[in-house]
Amino acid sequence: MRPDPMHEGDKRLKASHKSWWMNRWFLPAFSIAMGLGMWGAFWAGGDPTGGAVSFAVMAVFGAIFFFGGKSATIRGMRGDGRDERWAMIDQQATAFAGLAIITATLVGFGIEVAHGRDGSPYGQLAAIAGIAYLLAFFVARWRS
Amino acid sequence: MRNAELTRTLDRSELSSYLYRMQNIIRVLREAKGLSQGELARDMDVSRQTINSIETERYTPSLALAIALAQYFGKTVEEVFGREA
Repeated sequence: MRPDPMHEGDKRLKASHKSWWMNRWFLPAFSIAMGLGMWGAFWAGGDPTGGAVSFAVMAVFGAIFFFGGKSATIRGMRGDGRDERWAMIDQQATAFAGLAIITATLVGFGIEVAHGRDGSPYGQLAAIAGIAYLLAFFVARWRS
Repeated sequence: MRNAELTRTLDRSELSSYLYRMQNIIRVLREAKGLSQGELARDMDVSRQTINSIETERYTPSLALAIALAQYFGKTVEEVFGREA
């Protein structure tokens, strides 16, 4: 029997809405957890004040994500209001952020090497980025 | 006319035109039904901004959403979307 494309597509749309992290709690909780982790790292490094500032910044982001639910943009970002257009926007934003990081890493590597150093840690970061890109590319090619 | 046009092979420039200049009559159909963008968005399980972006042709929906929208209005996809929609 031929699958009903509408039914299949509908299931796919619904499935994309049901990822476990797509709710109003995950992103705020993740922000707080990140803040606590940074605070701990700063503390371990002997700078608890810097850690507190980092935690405060992350807590503000968490609060914006948690209480900003009236905004469709916030809901699209944290996942509970996400549909296929928001998913596309998220992919484009993620790709842009990745490109920015890779560009900065390559520039940093070039500057380090030009100063006669070995390019660390930019070389390692660039290698991770390159390997991650190739892996993602081939996995996506295999799955599609 | 449309079927004949669709059954012949599209050259590259025509294909680009279909892919990037997709028009639709969602706004006309929605207003004829007396629905707001929010109500249509709720029924389609998408955001109101997504409906607005489709209507203003800034966003081309996925095939699944295009089919869902066409079925919702009792039309075929070709009647709702296309260069001459």
